[in-house]
Amino acid sequence: MKLKCSRKPAFPWFGMDIGGTLVKLVYFEPKDITAEEEQEEVENLKSIRRYLTSNTAYGKTGVRDVHLELHNLTICGRTGNLHFIRFPTAAMHRFIQMGRDKHFSSLHTTLCATGGGAYKFENDFRTMADLELLKLDELDCLIQGLLYIDSVSFNGHPECYYFENPSDTQNCIKRPCSLDNLFPMLLVNIGSGVSILAVYAKDDYKRVTGTSLGGGTFLGLCCLLTGCETFEEALEMASKGDSTNVDKLVKDIYGGDYQRFGLQGSAVASSFGHMMSKEKRESISKEDLARATLVTITNNIGSIARMCAVNEKIERVVFVGNFLRINTVSTKLLAYAMDFWSKGQLRALFLEHEGYFGAVGAFLELLKSSDDA
Amino acid sequence: MNRTDNLIGSLRFQWTGEEHSLSFLVKDIMEVNGFHCDGEGCAEEQEEEPTALRLPRSKTETSCSIIATPGADSAAAGGSALREQRVSKSTPAMLRLDSLKKNRPPFPWFGMDIGGTLVKLVYFEPKDITAEEEQEEVDSLKSIRRFLTSHTAYGKTGIRDVHLELSDLTLWGRKGNLHFIRFPTHELPAFLQMGRDKHFSSLHTTLCATGGGAFKYEDGFRTMANLQLLKLDELECLIKGVLYIDSVVSSGPPECYYFEHPTDPERCEQKAYNLENPYPLLLVNIGSGVSILAVYSKDSYKRVTGTSLGGGTFLGLCCLLTGCSTFEEALAMATEGESTRVDKLVKDIYGGDYERFGLPGWAVASSFGSMMCKEKRDSVSKEDLARATLVTITNNIGSITRMCALNENIERVVFVGNFLRVNTLSMKLLAYALDYWSKGQLKALFLRHEGYFGAVGALLELPNPS
Repeated sequence: MKLKCSRKPAFPWFGMDIGGTLVKLVYFEPKDITAEEEQEEVENLKSIRRYLTSNTAYGKTGVRDVHLELHNLTICGRTGNLHFIRFPTAAMHRFIQMGRDKHFSSLHTTLCATGGGAYKFENDFRTMADLELLKLDELDCLIQGLLYIDSVSFNGHPECYYFENPSDTQNCIKRPCSLDNLFPMLLVNIGSGVSILAVYAKDDYKRVTGTSLGGGTFLGLCCLLTGCETFEEALEMASKGDSTNVDKLVKDIYGGDYQRFGLQGSAVASSFGHMMSKEKRESISKEDLARATLVTITNNIGSIARMCAVNEKIERVVFVGNFLRINTVSTKLLAYAMDFWSKGQLRALFLEHEGYFGAVGAFLELLKSSDDA
Repeated sequence: MNRTDNLIGSLRFQWTGEEHSLSFLVKDIMEVNGFHCDGEGCAEEQEEEPTALRLPRSKTETSCSIIATPGADSAAAGGSALREQRVSKSTPAMLRLDSLKKNRPPFPWFGMDIGGTLVKLVYFEPKDITAEEEQEEVDSLKSIRRFLTSHTAYGKTGIRDVHLELSDLTLWGRKGNLHFIRFPTHELPAFLQMGRDKHFSSLHTTLCATGGGAFKYEDGFRTMANLQLLKLDELECLIKGVLYIDSVVSSGPPECYYFEHPTDPERCEQKAYNLENPYPLLLVNIGSGVSILAVYSKDSYKRVTGTSLGGGTFLGLCCLLTGCSTFEEALAMATEGESTRVDKLVKDIYGGDYERFGLPGWAVASSFGSMMCKEKRDSVSKEDLARATLVTITNNIGSITRMCALNENIERVVFVGNFLRVNTLSMKLLAYALDYWSKGQLKALFLRHEGYFGAVGALLELPNPS
């Protein structure tokens, strides 16, 4: 994917996606700095670079996903590493504060930002840190970011993967795939909420629909139902639980399959349907509840995605977003659901950089922009 | 045992003496075919002459001979001294008579829908029972009728929805009231016990049942109460029931209605809707789970899709989140709560509207999305949680429905099922959401008999042998 690089923008090069729950930051660390350049480099720029690349955790909640780092990327004539960093949106003000403390504004760099927070925090950036945001649409950035990462590949490996034999728990394997014939694709972005896009070409897409039952719902409900506090805790619990103790299955109502309409006994008829019974409520564990929440949200998304795929007549469904981060239960469930309910017509695809595409897209916009400083 | 024998056998059991059984049969057959029997005798509805006795006229003319048989009890109310028995010499009429005998089921007339959460029962109470009939009636049948119609609550959990009763209904030649009764599915064993204690099986009546429970509990019925179920498909029954009820409700509040200005408390109005030319129709059945059907004609429909996030999810989650135990409690709490404290709205993320894609700031971006934050969790009430659960489930159903309507090219959406019982909050939400997100293209319709249509459809199968 060729980038139209106008005058190179000044370092540092960031792309930011301020979502409902998480802020995703991509940072380009140049590795081809000449001695001359280094000498000229202003102190705060150097300190930013050092701070970001010598830590993998920032404060209490910032994390650098080292395993996602793209090495030796050449972009707009510079070679370096692309880093992927995230922290909760709730820590936004602290981040802005840090920007002020490090005199970020004196670097006269454009800060490209997308996601709802680019709009919501625009004033805070300006007043607290004297920083001007270049606001970009999150779905535009998502698509551009995705196409770019796929084109440069993941350190020589494919960015995209799918599951073979999704219905077979023993033989279900992750397999790489190339997004050769990318278009048309149904892109399902599962963040706090969900957006579903039909993408026909690099610059031709539409937002088909969305659902408010997303990653935020999973985490919110889990916290309420189990007392957990983080996404990782919630997933941990879910991996140990059994949702069939919580959900009412077709066989609980029919005594078996509902043959007339091809609904297997093992299908869920009513999520959380057993929980209206006091005895059942007392017999299940927090892990069961966490699992049921995960399964309910995931299956609902899968169901809606499938309806969209059928209506838009698209066979490839790509799932992205941080709901799927370290969440193999959901990715496998989505793979299974797409395959099973469509009788093999639809295929679920996943991408390694999950929730970072918006930030990458924002980063790319920085390089395209004709603004220098 | 063939059905005809069964029918005449039952009648004999109820009546003494052959003459009675035959005259009863003839009278009823004539009524099925639009003949009115009063004290003077039987006459065709359209004609003035009360004493003329005529065989039902089939489309092909038949010639008949008349055999007069004196009625045994001339003082019987509605009975005449002379009852004529017509026996047709021609084959079509004879066949017709035979088939009519086969189609008249013996009392009691029930239809049952055994769902995931509730059992819905419809019961036809005959109001045109002659003194003669009453005298002959077996005790168990009489006691069933009396038990059902003289109570509005049964045991701790059974309820008769009196406000839904349909009076003066004519069904298969009998006039009576149709009653609507419900109880939780987990009370089914108690119900079976009652059936056994009241010797229901001795009435040799067919028990038409639909819903998953008709399959799940088939053996239970047989072993515990010696009852054979005629199992019917729930969606088939649903459609039949909807079409039937809509066609017979001619007085009182209209069966089908919609909301005008659903979210404006000052202007919100319930208005009647004429479902005369209903096709095509999207039928959304919200029970424990949800089924969405596209109905093209009375005999042509398909199940488009479903969702497992239904009424059972609402109740289950509410019980977990708020400690409530019943649907009514959950709804009461939801009415008091504020879901925007629990959900993350578009404006919480964007600081306003997400203009690019037409998402207003007040739209929910992430249901329960604020609950990942401890402070927010500590600041919301049980009522807020109940409201958020209701809104989340309802909006999800609305969203999926809208997608189906769009894809199937159908503008009329009818919502049924007991999730909507006493749940104006959800109805208005659905009405609003469908209207808003479709920019006025779709119309949400509702039916008064909400969750009973499956049971009605089952009842309607009674004359048809399995």
